[in-house]
Amino acid sequence: MSDRGYLWLALVFYAASCVLTVFRLRKSRLLPALQHLNSIAVIGGLTLHTVFLLLRGHHIGRCPLTNPFETTVFLAWGAVLFYLLIGPSYRVSFLGAFTAPLVLVISLVALLGLDDTRRPPPVQPIPWVVESHKPISLLACGAFGLACVVGGMYLMQERQLKTRRLTPAFLQMPPIEQLDVINFRLIVLGFGMLTVGMVGGMISYRIVGHWTTPKIVWAVAAWLIYALLLVARRMWSLRGRKIALLSMMSFAFVLVTFWGVSLLSSLHRGTP
Amino acid sequence: MNLITIGLNHRTAPVEVRERMAFHRAALGEATCLLLGATPLYEAAILSTCNRVEIYGLTGDLVRASAAMRRFLHEHHKLTENVESHLYEFRDRECIQHLLEVACGLDSMVVGETEILGQVKEAYLAAQQAGATGMALNRLFQKAFAGAKHIRTTTAITRGSTSVGSVAVDLAEKIFRDLGSRTVMVLGTGEMSEATAKALRNRGAGSIIVCSRTQERAETLANQLGGRAISYSQWPTEFPGVDIVISSTAAPHPIVTAEKLTPLMKLRRQRPLFLIDIAVPRDIERACGELENVYLYDIDDLQQIAQQNIAAREREIVACRALIAEHLDRFIVWFGSNRGALEKRYAKRTRGASLPREAHTHAS
Repeated sequence: MSDRGYLWLALVFYAASCVLTVFRLRKSRLLPALQHLNSIAVIGGLTLHTVFLLLRGHHIGRCPLTNPFETTVFLAWGAVLFYLLIGPSYRVSFLGAFTAPLVLVISLVALLGLDDTRRPPPVQPIPWVVESHKPISLLACGAFGLACVVGGMYLMQERQLKTRRLTPAFLQMPPIEQLDVINFRLIVLGFGMLTVGMVGGMISYRIVGHWTTPKIVWAVAAWLIYALLLVARRMWSLRGRKIALLSMMSFAFVLVTFWGVSLLSSLHRGTP
Repeated sequence: MNLITIGLNHRTAPVEVRERMAFHRAALGEATCLLLGATPLYEAAILSTCNRVEIYGLTGDLVRASAAMRRFLHEHHKLTENVESHLYEFRDRECIQHLLEVACGLDSMVVGETEILGQVKEAYLAAQQAGATGMALNRLFQKAFAGAKHIRTTTAITRGSTSVGSVAVDLAEKIFRDLGSRTVMVLGTGEMSEATAKALRNRGAGSIIVCSRTQERAETLANQLGGRAISYSQWPTEFPGVDIVISSTAAPHPIVTAEKLTPLMKLRRQRPLFLIDIAVPRDIERACGELENVYLYDIDDLQQIAQQNIAAREREIVACRALIAEHLDRFIVWFGSNRGALEKRYAKRTRGASLPREAHTHAS
């Protein structure tokens, strides 16, 4: 089986989790068995997802972030990873259930539409600063992706509270204030990592001596957007629905421009 | 050997009859012993709550037992009028099914309420301690408890609050991360606001401020809730620090308006605010609910949610009945195969052997 086969298999697991989610949302009773099944589906998906990244990395002899396909898959992997790190500590039910659909969509776009030209292994070993700044920045995006999921959950619960129309799953979902806090913490975490990634990028430039302009523009734009989001929350006490909505829009913007930029830089790379 | 139930409940008898038929909790064991002495029952238990009085028994002669149980109910409570028309009777299969339904809360006024299971347990314990239960009723009640537990956890029969106060608490728990650090303000005292405030307190609400036009009433309620009372004129100054407001004043016009609330929300740095308006006419302008991070529920909203929850529970009854049928069948099989053993066990007693509980009856 090719390494992409493992990713397809991972998507089967994520899709199973999505189906379970839809089912759970329509029931008012707690279904512990389904909850466990959902965790198994997400963990199974993440394991296969990781197998793909390891195989690919082994194959190309470096971090598998050499083309738009690989970077996108890595970003989705980051979101699931953050879910597994954060989910248990906050005991947020349904977080995994909502993460799976996002990861599924992002990975499907990657598998079906993004360039996957494999690069030959590097001739010389790459310095660790150069090698690590990319995964750190992309993990930051994973955190932003999960913040987007939490924001979506917030909007769902908030809407029910405002319209006073409660769905069967209302009582099982976490309180909106908690979703607000998790959203904030994820953005702080992502922002910190993105900052580290960008500093790493600057150091890499000194070592390698060249850069790809679109990627830098993209990174700076993402950094500015999330910086603004944090300022809005702290200084202008923007809270709740608006922040949730902004965090979703920011992630959508970052993701779409990321794909655009990846396309641009692979074109850029294509020309000698 | 047959099982029999005779009793009445909130559907068959008005409260005036039910209150006269009720057995004292403390005297339940004694009454059970008297019952065994007065009727041809080998085993018996009396369930008595504010909504029902029922006798469960094991007998070898259904016709005589039925008549004697009815007589016992009349004589024990010294009734002058006839309550026959309020009584229902179930035998064997129906009797077992009835107990299962009662234990699950299917037969309760509010479907799925959980208090009843505790009351059935109490009734059983009282009968057991009085030595009135044996092989059949012990098994019947224990299987009913297990069945009720199973049905409660696998269906949604107990899900969703069914009273205004508990619906309000549910909503508060879906807005705030922890109620322990929240301040509740009770504006105007009344039965409903008191119940809601108590429900919040029981679920761990941090501090409670009570404010009423009559200072005395505010202080009484504040003492009850473990909060503090403030004078009516003080409420606007305390308002910015409050997270949950329960309002039930007799004011003819809204006392909280969107116009007044907007600057206060800025002061609170847009922290969520939960407004519960149980006054009629309403105390809080409807437009307040449209402000960012403000959640407003009036009495109609809360009642509607409670009604929806009751309806949802009622939709679960079918699923419950299916599970009850399983438990019922299992018990019937056991009962069928142990009939002989029960007959043998109680054969001696029918011949008039001296019984310890008869001695007990005479002593009391």
